[in-house]
Amino acid sequence: MRQVAFELNPGEILCILGPNGSGKTTLIKLIATLLIPTEGRIFIHGQDTIRRPMLAKRRLGFITCNEWSFYGPLSGWQNLAFFARLHGLDPRTAIPPVARLLKLAPYLDRRFFSYSTGIKRRFDLARGMLHQPDLLLMDEPTTNLDPIAAGEVRDLIGRLREEGKTVILVTHRLGEAQKLGDRLAVMTAGRLHEIRPSPQESLEDLYRRTVQEEGGALG
Amino acid sequence: MGKVWAFFVRDFLWELSYPLVPLWRWGGIVFRLVTFYFLGVLISPGASSYLAPYGGYYFPFVVLGLALASFQEVALTSVSESISYGMHTGTLEIMLATPTSLSTIVFSSVLYQFSIAALEILLYLAFGAWFFNLSLAQANIPATAAFLLLALLAHLPLGIISAGFLLIFKRGSPITVLFGHFSALLGGVYFPVQVLPGWLQSLSFFIPFTHALEGLRQAVINGKGLLELKTPAAVLCILAAVLMPLSLAFFAWAVRQAKRLGTLSQY
Repeated sequence: MRQVAFELNPGEILCILGPNGSGKTTLIKLIATLLIPTEGRIFIHGQDTIRRPMLAKRRLGFITCNEWSFYGPLSGWQNLAFFARLHGLDPRTAIPPVARLLKLAPYLDRRFFSYSTGIKRRFDLARGMLHQPDLLLMDEPTTNLDPIAAGEVRDLIGRLREEGKTVILVTHRLGEAQKLGDRLAVMTAGRLHEIRPSPQESLEDLYRRTVQEEGGALG
Repeated sequence: MGKVWAFFVRDFLWELSYPLVPLWRWGGIVFRLVTFYFLGVLISPGASSYLAPYGGYYFPFVVLGLALASFQEVALTSVSESISYGMHTGTLEIMLATPTSLSTIVFSSVLYQFSIAALEILLYLAFGAWFFNLSLAQANIPATAAFLLLALLAHLPLGIISAGFLLIFKRGSPITVLFGHFSALLGGVYFPVQVLPGWLQSLSFFIPFTHALEGLRQAVINGKGLLELKTPAAVLCILAAVLMPLSLAFFAWAVRQAKRLGTLSQY
């Protein structure tokens, strides 16, 4: 990853597009402190993610959209309770607000492996929001969701912006990026390019041109 | 404490969801006890001078060996198993994205397994006492508990090092597997170390399991206290004091390497 530099303000949504393998997930994981950069620094609300990772982690919510990253035989509540405690929270006060927000109350007592993909995705979002982080990192949150479930996730992201949360959203859906993103960027071969669609050039054309000019493969 | 409790509750609930697993394990304990009880009948008391330091009976001698061997297995494998599961499902990344220290994740991940392993030692002794006339009247409880704790602290670092290997090479350390076999062979699980040729006896001195088992047997069978068992206790203390910080430093380095190489997850 090279020449990646950006600053986000509270309440902004940055949508990152890009071909498969271009480094989008790597960027998300670098911000989430799950990868260490060979050079460069990342600050979250002034906290250096390398020097003070614990303080930085309190401000960020990591939403992987990997449904396996839960404990299948445990219930939704038990899963959320485990991760709430890792954030130093009391599950009895941390879970109900996010369960209400994501309409998860009817599912909390069932075993996690019995949920549909859409419900699992909502639990993933709930887990990332348990500690009310200022910055949310979302890696393709609408992938594999039906249109209605994907629409609900997009509505939720829109509400997060209204609450002043900052979101970095990785997506392959151009329409989703255009609808949600305050800022748009394309990642190609480890480089991040901020783009601004105009009436003269649609997002799809701009995306194709950016990827091709930078030598990336449209995948 | 809330974070440690979180891991304990998680693992308890996980085990509760597969209630037959502990039943199978405890059934295995009974089968092993029956097998070695009848093997013990073959070896009449006093038939072997090697057993004299352990009261002369084979059954209590081997029961303690089996119990500590299963405890050691947990120490050597539980950290790797926990880390491996976390790598393959992605839960390790999620845990590392929370403000939870690495040492909390490592120690808390194995707390439940160790509690169960300690309970299984009690089961070995209880089944042995109820059904096979194993005498525990002499047992020195504080010394027994101390040697279990020391056995844990001396063996757990090897398990932590193995988990570090797993993070970097995707495979646990083969040394840990060999170590388990060597401990069973040279540590005196099935026969006293004194039966071995001199050079193998010398080798067995360098295995922490030998000292842990010797201390445990003397505490349970002969009722010896820590003062009388200061040599094996001191060896285990030194090993734990040296190996524990080294293993944690190695594991922390392995996590940093995994973060540089992008190998924290394998899903």
